[in-house]
Amino acid sequence: MSIFRQCTLLILASLLPLTLFAGCSGEPRRADAPARAVPSPAPVDTASITFTVVDGPALVAAVHAGGAKVTLVNVWASWCQPCREEFPDLVRLDRELADQGFRVIFVSADFADDLPNAKSYLAEQGVGGPAYLKTGDDMQFIDTLDPSWSGALPGSFLYDGAGRRVRSWEGKASYDSLRARVLPVLASGN
Amino acid sequence: MFARPLAALAAMVALAAVSVSPARAQSAPAPTPIALGTAIPMADARLKNVDGKEMSIASAKGKQGTLVIFTCNACPWAKKWETRAAKIGNDAIKRGIGVVAINSNDPQRNKEDGYDVMQARAKKLGMKFAYAMDRTSDVARAFGASRTPEVFLFDASGALVYHGAIDDNADDAAKVTKPYLEDAITAVATGKSVATAQTKALGCSIKFRAKA
Repeated sequence: MSIFRQCTLLILASLLPLTLFAGCSGEPRRADAPARAVPSPAPVDTASITFTVVDGPALVAAVHAGGAKVTLVNVWASWCQPCREEFPDLVRLDRELADQGFRVIFVSADFADDLPNAKSYLAEQGVGGPAYLKTGDDMQFIDTLDPSWSGALPGSFLYDGAGRRVRSWEGKASYDSLRARVLPVLASGN
Repeated sequence: MFARPLAALAAMVALAAVSVSPARAQSAPAPTPIALGTAIPMADARLKNVDGKEMSIASAKGKQGTLVIFTCNACPWAKKWETRAAKIGNDAIKRGIGVVAINSNDPQRNKEDGYDVMQARAKKLGMKFAYAMDRTSDVARAFGASRTPEVFLFDASGALVYHGAIDDNADDAAKVTKPYLEDAITAVATGKSVATAQTKALGCSIKFRAKA
């Protein structure tokens, strides 16, 4: 029985957890590895956080320039409750899959008067890397990321290594759901 | 079907993961808004206005058209736009367009979206039109509304002629260059076609109540 068929039967017959599929390919597939336990990120100094202001095209350029195998752009705001509910899972996934070429780009849609809150939240979550702040026309920003996005937050956009948007969604997603969306793109090797 | 077994496996793993993920319900598809030309959905649905009375969108219809604004109390975008929205709504009434603002958010998610706060907000803003609670969120669902604020303007015949944002700058009214809604209202009030019929803006997601 081929490796492919073995995997198919496994999926259809049992729908066992994803972790069981790790060995089905017959070759190392780190993207399918079970979630690694990574320590929670330590808070960072708020003063160290600076925002790079981006409109839609600049953001897409940042995705292309980032060199990641898979990039997830997450548009959030400090006041946005579902964004905050989802945020720790995005940070966790970013850390767990970083060595496989996965990267999360957080783009704040906060207004200027809320930037201190946005910085504090990023610091609290241990996000010390480049932080982005949306600027410019909303319509252009939305349509550049995905014309089917309504503009409701949070919005998430998944890009492959060639910088092609392969999936997007609005509203929060759980850790398991996020992981299930990212892993196939990582595994595709584009 | 698949060029490579690995790609096939990845696709199947993804499908399986979606099938078994307990989180799928959290990632429901985004609402699809009604199309231009559509009649007012759930026009007769009962809404609770801030004056304590029951009303409906149908009861707020104007001779020249009807403006429905999905908004709320808590969303920072709604707050940024609320003064402009109140003025635009008040002016629209003078031009024969009926106006109703609707809060479809579940106040269990944020107490600031409660009825008493709606009453205070309508008074503070001097709203001369209804600000009503959608107690099931079903009206928002019927419109396919997804965020606050999000506006739907219907012409005199009851057909949707504009859907989207209030204008192009939530943060600063002085920097608005495209007053989308005001332009659409002027067109409707004067019997002309709306030049820019669909726009978008960032906004807070509507906090839908659980479906009964």
